Amino acid sequence: MTSPEEIRRAIEAALPEARIDVADTTGAGDHFDVTVKAAAFVGRTLVEQHQLVYQALGGLMPRIHALSLRTTAL
Amino acid sequence: MADVLKEIEREVRENRVVVYMKGTPSFPMCGFSAATVEVLREIGVPFKAIDILAEPEKRDAIKVYSNWPTIPQVYVGGKFIGGCDIVREMHARGELAPLLRAAVGG
Repeated sequence: MTSPEEIRRAIEAALPEARIDVADTTGAGDHFDVTVKAAAFVGRTLVEQHQLVYQALGGLMPRIHALSLRTTAL
Repeated sequence: MADVLKEIEREVRENRVVVYMKGTPSFPMCGFSAATVEVLREIGVPFKAIDILAEPEKRDAIKVYSNWPTIPQVYVGGKFIGGCDIVREMHARGELAPLLRAAVGG
């Protein structure tokens, strides 16, 4: 389990200028919808964009059961 | 792990469209896997499904192979194209069907 705030902080640490929305979809702290908009995504494929977010989440990933991710280049 | 990575490489090369999933297309064991199969079926291309729950040695290997921490994973023409979210997004944009049809040669 984790929290929207922890997820937000982890992404912010790696992508400081990103606009981040995190929703805990079940209220149980293990299913999340995450939207990230960042200039760092420009020129990268969707796979590369998602990889950046997964890397940012690093150690949190095993504590998240289900993560829906949407990324947009700003 | 090296042997399993080689087997994965062969699978994604020898099959035009491959999905690594939890469960089978008929009995998916996870909502993300089910949604991914649903999109592939809607487009109507043949695909090979590999149940990583039945082949547990592939569960970790596939994540290393693609540097991608989640399952399902979809490969087209030997290339990793994404997981459930990307597949759904590409489908919504109308980009997935042409890619898949080109890969299967129809």
